[in-house]
Amino acid sequence: MKPGTRLKSAACDTEVMVIRCADGQIECGGAPMGEAKPAEAAPLSADFSAGTLMGKRYVDADGKYELLCVKPGKGSLSVDGVALVVKDAKPLPASD
Amino acid sequence: MGRDHQVPALCALDGASLMGERGSNGGYRISGPVSAGLGGSRLMPTRDGGWFALTLIRDIDRELLPALFGDPDLDIRNADAIAAAVARHDCARLVETGRALGLPVASADEKPAAPPIEVLARGPHRERPTSHRPLVLDLSAIWAGPLAGHLFWQAGMEVVKVESLSRPDLIRRDDPTTFDLINQGKANVLVDLTDETEKAALIALIRRADVVIESSRPRALRHLGVDADALVRDVPGLVWLSITGHGATGDAANWVGIGNDCGVAGGLSRAMAALTGEMGYVGDAIADPLTGITAAREGLAALRSGVAQRIGLSMSAISAMALAEERQHDRAAIDAELRAWGTSAGAPFPLVQRRPLQAEVREIGADTARYLPELVRC
Repeated sequence: MKPGTRLKSAACDTEVMVIRCADGQIECGGAPMGEAKPAEAAPLSADFSAGTLMGKRYVDADGKYELLCVKPGKGSLSVDGVALVVKDAKPLPASD
Repeated sequence: MGRDHQVPALCALDGASLMGERGSNGGYRISGPVSAGLGGSRLMPTRDGGWFALTLIRDIDRELLPALFGDPDLDIRNADAIAAAVARHDCARLVETGRALGLPVASADEKPAAPPIEVLARGPHRERPTSHRPLVLDLSAIWAGPLAGHLFWQAGMEVVKVESLSRPDLIRRDDPTTFDLINQGKANVLVDLTDETEKAALIALIRRADVVIESSRPRALRHLGVDADALVRDVPGLVWLSITGHGATGDAANWVGIGNDCGVAGGLSRAMAALTGEMGYVGDAIADPLTGITAAREGLAALRSGVAQRIGLSMSAISAMALAEERQHDRAAIDAELRAWGTSAGAPFPLVQRRPLQAEVREIGADTARYLPELVRC
């Protein structure tokens, strides 16, 4: 999958942009994410229902995956069943 | 502004100094399509004949470039490789994707998404006796907001700069000369906004303030649990100045904007290129001082009215407004200025007289105990 690809949650409103990825299955709310929204919504898994926050970047422990939330939702993000965590934001330096 | 409000100290300041003192003091040179100073912003031509402004001043932003260009193999540290990637795409798509990614980007041909100045919420009126010395909380960072706070301080108000433990104002470290000029005389309070007790103490301080200045993205405030509109509706006479890159509502509220690219989004670079054939940045982070001055003017007027209000100030739209006003005022003069700037690449910035410091610059957190006595740190 190319960086810059937009993925939609099958279980909630979440949309992400792929910053970095490998070959694993990217999921939201416990269900696989895809470029198109499925006709029928997937159930939201209780284990992956902490919600996503607009503008936050989510990463895995190995640094292989990074997703940017561009639309928030009720599900939370995972890859092959392992939850992703928020990457800390950095303040802007003084000058440009 | 000083004359309108009969504040002698403000009358003594002139706009050209406020706009140019960072570049003059810093020894900046006019650099055409590269921003003056550190050169963190670049204007680059796109496939469809547009110009795309991209600011890369954080490593964390460079990591987003493969997603911006859809190219996992891009050399993200190489300016030539980045310019080549820009030249393979259309401007509007780069701006749209860049903004979704949270990058400070702009097109030389865009129209600002928001009005320059908009009242976002109103609240109850407060009658202030003429002897009342207003309390200003400056929660902003970098240049625009702190300059507004500085102008309030020049007007005789009590100004408290509030910094967050996790996101202090980095201009203190990166450009101490400018930091000292625009933050002198302000008290300094340091709070940990992730701590509920400290946040509650800050909200209590806000409730007794006359003016709040902030330059956070609206969703960052919401994530922190600070509801500016609710505070304005509740606290009589509270003037809340929200400085944004491109607007405080809708999609534009999520876009990042800083001084140089907001000037581009406001049409200044295109106006200069139309006159000279040379595309480049106009001024030094020009949207910052323009917005700081505008915010102080609007804030003073709101304070005098006594009506609580939250005023949104969009840096890109204020740049466009300034250009339109100058054209209306004296078309030949502004065109001559833009022509001179556009044909002066390589020249040093115009010298403006260095302003001597008039007051102490307080250390970070030096006044926390005074303003937030309920927080006693061990």
